[in-house]
Amino acid sequence: MAKALNAGLRRSLDDDDRVMLMGEDIGRLGGVFRVTDQLQAEFGADRVVDTPLAESGIIGTAIGLAMRGYRPVCEIQFDGFIYPAFDQIVSQLAKIHTRTEGAVTVPLTIRVPYGGGIGAVEHHSESPEAYFAHTAGLRVVTCSNPDDAFGMIQQAIRSDDPVLFFEPKRRYWDRADVDLDAAPTVGLYDARVVIAGSDLTVVAYGPMVATALAAAKEAASEGTSIEVIDLRSLSPIDFDTIDRSVAKTGRLVVVHEASVFLGIGAEIAARISERCFFQLEAPVLRVGGYATPYPPSKVEQYYLPDVDRVLDAIDRSLAVE
Amino acid sequence: MGEAGSTEFRLPDLGEGLADAEIVRWMVAPGDSVTLNQIICEVETAKALVELPSPVVGVVAKLRVSEGETVTVGTAIITFEGADVPAMVEMPPETPDASIDARTEAPDDEGRSSMLVGYGPGDGDSRTGARKRRHAQRQRAVPVEQPAVSATVAAKPPVRRLAKERGLELSNLTGTGANGVITRADVEAASAPTATSSTPSRDGHDETRVPISGLRKRTAAAMVSSAFTAPHVTEFVTVDVTPTVELVEKLRAHPAFSGRKVTPLLIVSKALLFALERHPELGSRWDEAAQEIVTRREVNLGIAVATPRGLMVPNVKDAAGLTLVELAEALSGLTERARDGKTELSEFSGGTITITNIGGFGIDTGTPIINPGEAGILCVGAIRRQPWEYRDEIALRSVLTLSLSFDHRLVDGFEGSGFLADVARVLADPTELIALG
Amino acid sequence: MSIATAQQLDTADTVTLLTEHGGDLREDDLFSPYLADIDDAELCRIYEDLVVVRRIDAEATALQRQGELALWAPLLGQEAAQVGSARGIRPGDFVFGSYREHAVAYLRGVDPTLILRFWRGSTHSGWNPYDINMTTPAIVIGSQMLQAVGYAMGIMRDAKRDDSIHDIAVTYFGDGATSQGGFSEALGFAASSHAPVVFFCQNNQYAISAPVGIQTSVPIVQRASGFGMRGIRVDGNDVLAVLAVTRYAAERARSGDGPTLIEAVTYRMGPHTTSDDPTRYRDADELALWKTRDPIDRLLRTLEYRGLATDEMLAAVDAKADAVAAEVRKGCLETVEPRPESIFDHVYSEPHSLIEEERAEFLDYHRGGAE
Ligand SMILES: Cc1ncc(C[n+]2csc(CCOP(=O)(O)OP(=O)(O)O)c2C)c(N)n1
Ligand SMILES: [Mg+2]
Repeated sequence: MAKALNAGLRRSLDDDDRVMLMGEDIGRLGGVFRVTDQLQAEFGADRVVDTPLAESGIIGTAIGLAMRGYRPVCEIQFDGFIYPAFDQIVSQLAKIHTRTEGAVTVPLTIRVPYGGGIGAVEHHSESPEAYFAHTAGLRVVTCSNPDDAFGMIQQAIRSDDPVLFFEPKRRYWDRADVDLDAAPTVGLYDARVVIAGSDLTVVAYGPMVATALAAAKEAASEGTSIEVIDLRSLSPIDFDTIDRSVAKTGRLVVVHEASVFLGIGAEIAARISERCFFQLEAPVLRVGGYATPYPPSKVEQYYLPDVDRVLDAIDRSLAVE
Repeated sequence: MGEAGSTEFRLPDLGEGLADAEIVRWMVAPGDSVTLNQIICEVETAKALVELPSPVVGVVAKLRVSEGETVTVGTAIITFEGADVPAMVEMPPETPDASIDARTEAPDDEGRSSMLVGYGPGDGDSRTGARKRRHAQRQRAVPVEQPAVSATVAAKPPVRRLAKERGLELSNLTGTGANGVITRADVEAASAPTATSSTPSRDGHDETRVPISGLRKRTAAAMVSSAFTAPHVTEFVTVDVTPTVELVEKLRAHPAFSGRKVTPLLIVSKALLFALERHPELGSRWDEAAQEIVTRREVNLGIAVATPRGLMVPNVKDAAGLTLVELAEALSGLTERARDGKTELSEFSGGTITITNIGGFGIDTGTPIINPGEAGILCVGAIRRQPWEYRDEIALRSVLTLSLSFDHRLVDGFEGSGFLADVARVLADPTELIALG
Repeated sequence: MSIATAQQLDTADTVTLLTEHGGDLREDDLFSPYLADIDDAELCRIYEDLVVVRRIDAEATALQRQGELALWAPLLGQEAAQVGSARGIRPGDFVFGSYREHAVAYLRGVDPTLILRFWRGSTHSGWNPYDINMTTPAIVIGSQMLQAVGYAMGIMRDAKRDDSIHDIAVTYFGDGATSQGGFSEALGFAASSHAPVVFFCQNNQYAISAPVGIQTSVPIVQRASGFGMRGIRVDGNDVLAVLAVTRYAAERARSGDGPTLIEAVTYRMGPHTTSDDPTRYRDADELALWKTRDPIDRLLRTLEYRGLATDEMLAAVDAKADAVAAEVRKGCLETVEPRPESIFDHVYSEPHSLIEEERAEFLDYHRGGAE
């Protein structure tokens, strides 16, 4: 996936000379995950900029560059380091378009490697997406596989709105053949039914899509047919796709790594309860992180949703008569 | 503790979530003695070229991966013999009597081995196995787990809606689901005859009290609302239906209707549809909120059915579009399902006009109340053999009284009368159906 | 933007006491008096510290390569900056560290095994900060400096009521951290409040791959004057100069003369962490140059000059280092891992209903729903 993102960024740099990359260690080093590998060598240090170590500085200056007509793509090195930039993102970036009554657009893309499961030390495994999805004025998307990574990063960069682009870092080294000539077949904000099923719907995104698929496979071997939806966009959320699925299955489980308390799953559960009240055969269940800080990596497997926890939620949902 | 036997060394995650690495060069060979931290090989990850130091003092038994090969994190790459350093200690977690025994949580074969730290995503997912145990537990234990149920009635939304459609009050039902949850089956069962209770009344008289609930309550509400919102007008006509009775006999003998139930009601229905075509006002609806009169193209013909549970009015969808055979089929299916309590929810909604047949009770006529939302209701009495003027003489004929109630907001006397007369005309001579239909 | 090159050691305004090529200590009017108590035996103990912390560092790197640690941030090359400064403050002072100050933690009395627990992924901390008056690793760059200033402000308040209190706060951070807003804010708060705090910057020339020129176009020490604060640049590979300068800055803070910014110019000889590949962004020549300034060699030359570097002494130091390393390895391999349900511990200091609910669910789930 890291290579697919690299290819997507290269394509964007090629297509539009106003696109520029900014971030810590993204130039000579190629980023700590090598997502920007070789891009500085190819496009020069003017377009692939190693910035000082200051996230607020990165986003603040990127806003200025965007106002001057550039399309900056900022890398935040790890999820846990986005907070120094929180003020610039939430109080400025998100609001400028509204504040100026539409006169100013800020086409900024903020790439954030996120999520856990990589055995890292504190602040390197977080899932802060809900803060941003909660903030009006920001779009929030996340890819789950190399194909989407390649297409979605280009679509995000083309958006005139600020886009938070969350990259599931534990899937960075997932491999797949990506057709670099294929245009994206779905819109950036569309969810996708990854596998169809009839008994229960599982909605997941980013790193949890693979987990949901593994659970669906296991459930299938037990005779239960699971429909898996990759949400892809967290703001806006494609509720119609979820709706259609739930109307069919009557049961919904939402899976994400982030704490379930007031998370994306909470919003989905609420909306689907409103939209599909009489089709629901069981309460919408959420599987996710607990209401605790992300734990030390030796016990992270107990915090993170895994195939077993997803299957357990499926069991609980199906048990409701 | 690592035994002084053979020890495997598995490729660790060398940097925050790397999945694999290439063995670039081995610095030791089988038979070599190695010291602790002696560099044994060089590997290349997605991030860097790094040297791996030996975790043990011992002798190299086997290189399990060749140079140039890329292996995933967790793969055994080398085996040592006579290793005497406790390199691969597996410690139990703190306080072994802790509530979760982490050792039983040890991952399955395909999972991570606990020796490696920071080990990365590997195949993507660790498994704690907890679900298997809980799943097994659930299979054994009855009742199954349900969301917490409070003292108030518990039923999920689709079941609540079903109950509502059936006019059932959930609080009067007994839930047979886990924790007393009212299930779909409970609602279905409650549509069966209810036992009445016979208890001495409060003032000592022997009387029977049945709570006003369910279908009765719903029917009552509907009737009251209809009687007090729609100004009813009722008209009567008595007609010689002997040709209809003869027609019914002929149809019964006809192969097309063999095995099918043919009753005068079938011809009454057909007559009504015939009349409705000429007087569509009788199929219209008063939309108070929108202040509009709504006329649907489709005719959903309601049949009032007396069931053990009370009066029900399911309807035959698009009755005007059916052949006579189809209509016969639909009518008998409808009444059977209603009596067996198997009527589908959809059969109750969207009615256009209703026929109520009280002849079966030996009654001649009545003043029916319009089914709410409709414009008219046709009441069919008993068909009696009685003296009747026939071809200028007195003869014994099959005679029937029809009454029609209509909503005077929607239907004037002129149209109402015309409609009723048309029905009567057809029943008096079904040839009209063919001649004019 | 041009690619900045690493800042070279500019000796003109940098305090150095150990001579580059051996010989005895250089005399300095201001700083030499701070070394008056350093006799030959003490010099040997300082040398031992340098060797031991390097050995601990090497063992930890090996343990990471063997899969026993998730990650390790080597201090290789920065031993003098850390040992010198740690020795220049008192046990009662409070240290707000960054994440690479393993030597400072060790010298303040942390069992090195506990330091490793953090990097193994067994804990987010490793020790109780109040046990040794030092915080556990601060991973978010730039987060700890303001906290140090606040702590120092607290000391100042206490001292108003109790004049026996002369503690100070010391904060460690890297050259990269000076770009964070928190650094400038901390200097501002410290200068205007006159808080007893020492800012100790280890300028090791890099923030991961970014040479210090990306963060600043003037020596970091010059930041101090803009805030009206004393700033001193010191040769960070000269353990004695670092010791003297730290003692001087600490004394200023203790006696009410306010904060000081120390820039210790040093070099990160290893990778940023075990996940890093420095060959992607720096030349072998540069590393070779800095190897000639190796902080341990620097002191060793002076020891040799004074005739202290006997085989016996060197062997004893190596033996001690090996013993500590063996302890570290053993301690690491015997780590008792946290209980799974410990993830619910200490989220709040008082009961919290959501945590209790989730803990109960968690236990029920992992026990197989037997309850
Ligand atoms: C707020 C924040 N942003 C980014 C990082 C990722 N990161 C970890 S260390 C580092 C470089 C730090 O450089 P410096 O301050 O010079 O300290 P050094 O590592 O050289 O000791 C970076 C960018 C982080 N830990 N925190
Ligand atoms: Mg640095």
